[in-house]
Amino acid sequence: MTRRRQLIWMGGAGRLTWMCGAGRLTWMGGAGRLIWMGGAVVPAFARGAALACALALAAAPALAQPPSDVRIDITSGKGHRIRIHCESLAASGDRNAGTWSAQADEVLAHDLDWSAVFTVSKSWAGGQAPADVQAVAGGKFSVNGDQVRLSGEVRDFPARRPILIKEYRAPLRDWRAMVHAFADDIVLQFTGESGVAQTRIAFIAQTGRVKELYTMDYDGARVAPMTADRSIALSPSWSPEGSLLLYTSYRSGTGPHIFVTPSGGGKTFQISGRPGLNTSACYSPDGREIACTLSMDGNSEVYVLDARGEHPQRLTTNRAIDTSPAWSPTGHEIAFTSDRTGTPQVYVMDREGGSVRRLTYEVGYTDSPAWSPKGDQIAFVSRTGAGFDIYACRPDGSGSRLVVSGGSNENPRWSPDGRHLVFASNRDGPFALYVTDLDDTPPRRLETGGLEALSPAWSPRLAGPGEAMRVTDGNSNPGGRP
Amino acid sequence: MNIKLTRSITIVLLCVSALASGCAKKQIAATPAPTPPAPTPAPTKFEPPPPAPMPTIEAPQVTKIGSGDLQPAFFDLDSYTLREDARASLDKDAKLLRDHPNVTITVEGHCDERGTTEYNQALGEKRAQAARDYLVGAGIAAARVEIISYGKEKPFAQGHDESAWQQNRRAHLVVRTGT
Repeated sequence: MTRRRQLIWMGGAGRLTWMCGAGRLTWMGGAGRLIWMGGAVVPAFARGAALACALALAAAPALAQPPSDVRIDITSGKGHRIRIHCESLAASGDRNAGTWSAQADEVLAHDLDWSAVFTVSKSWAGGQAPADVQAVAGGKFSVNGDQVRLSGEVRDFPARRPILIKEYRAPLRDWRAMVHAFADDIVLQFTGESGVAQTRIAFIAQTGRVKELYTMDYDGARVAPMTADRSIALSPSWSPEGSLLLYTSYRSGTGPHIFVTPSGGGKTFQISGRPGLNTSACYSPDGREIACTLSMDGNSEVYVLDARGEHPQRLTTNRAIDTSPAWSPTGHEIAFTSDRTGTPQVYVMDREGGSVRRLTYEVGYTDSPAWSPKGDQIAFVSRTGAGFDIYACRPDGSGSRLVVSGGSNENPRWSPDGRHLVFASNRDGPFALYVTDLDDTPPRRLETGGLEALSPAWSPRLAGPGEAMRVTDGNSNPGGRP
Repeated sequence: MNIKLTRSITIVLLCVSALASGCAKKQIAATPAPTPPAPTPAPTKFEPPPPAPMPTIEAPQVTKIGSGDLQPAFFDLDSYTLREDARASLDKDAKLLRDHPNVTITVEGHCDERGTTEYNQALGEKRAQAARDYLVGAGIAAARVEIISYGKEKPFAQGHDESAWQQNRRAHLVVRTGT
């Protein structure tokens, strides 16, 4: 038998096991106990791990019922970040493997940096790991023909004991998704929640007077056109599981209508082409309903349709403009914009259109609400002289804070983990997409294939090839074959 | 097989006859309304030369109008209330439309860039509605006036200053059919 060392996470049992030649160390998450099975001599690392776990348990009582194994606690991406050092992946296999692995190094480092969980240093940029690094990421990257394999490793520092060992295999064309899967697993290991490296962003690209719908990876790679209508496409929005995109288009020639198209490409269907406006469509969290703006009764109002676009239920009855509905993650409430008091303001109502309240009095002229996926924040824009700043507040309207200013910053939309907002801005010239981590780091610009980009929408976590290409989940033979 | 064949032949024949009858009907419908008999001027050499023949009624039918002849109505920021100058423009438009009763139009609602896409779509519709309602109030049949809102998606001026924004806050009238 070959000498094995690996981490085994049994999510259902709430148990984390570290196996090595000498024996097995198991942490029973539910019971808060650490058990050593094996030789009489408890290795030094096991004693260290026991101490670390005991300290962690003492420091964080919440760990007694964790959804996952939280090794190092962080404060939700703001302020404190974990220092991680990326080492170049060791290339093997085909002669060009080094070229691929060098790209994989960069993608992994970007993913970890952009997760807002880590502060990243790179071995290929600065040599040795800084003294205060908490973990080191690296591994092997082998290319054989059109297949690629990644043996990913994360170790603590300086002892270099394994924190996460995982192996991935994929067709070479999916190498990016494979590296993203490793990055998401690292974020999962450290925070208890998967990262968002395997998500995509839909947006509107403007060329002259034409606006088409596009999608791309969350980091701006793999830009793909979804429409070629030579018309005006607007306001994209994802279905809850990410398979469909709702958007508004003037392609019928008789006004803005709501369409749905498969996010992987395919036939487009009209959801609503009623007289007047058909705009601002978004799926309810359970995907069974669509909130949107219609003006078939002579005035723009918020409606809820079923998923086929039928059976409209009118939620607002006001002579003013009512538009831009945004569901709460529970589906029980809807934030929307209304100018019923003269200028646009964000309001919140319940699913039946009752209990209407203005969101915040702390900021004037507000619009474009977006409810965070965890329900704890509502992002919105507030008008300045010639554009918008982005704010966020609690759903009860308290705690408004400025998130992004400078230029015009529009259409904020949350990442599925609630750590980031993507938005459109002309802060550096023509409109482009940016991401903020809601902290004091400056927003980063996304490459959108050189296109002028507007109206972004962040996908939910997608069940991409990353799920299928995980060869090991810790407890099988890392080699894949005996 | 035979039955299918005969059935399809029958369908084809039915279609052809339907088409033929359709054409015939059209012809019949067209014939009862021929151009009215041309008024015989019957000028005599002894009478003085006639004045220009009835220009007030005939002229509008002769001069064609296009979208360029219709004036836009401009709006204030965030407003869909018709200003004095907007009413004056629409009064002229209404007169032109009364003079050309076969013309139908689309009123496009437009906004400047200082607003969100979705809000501006709603605001643009309000502006188009305000212009349409004014034209209808001035005697233009509602059926002749359609509306569409483009929000901030089709600006007339590309600039980012007040003069461009004012150009873009408008109800824009476009001839749909007729001349």
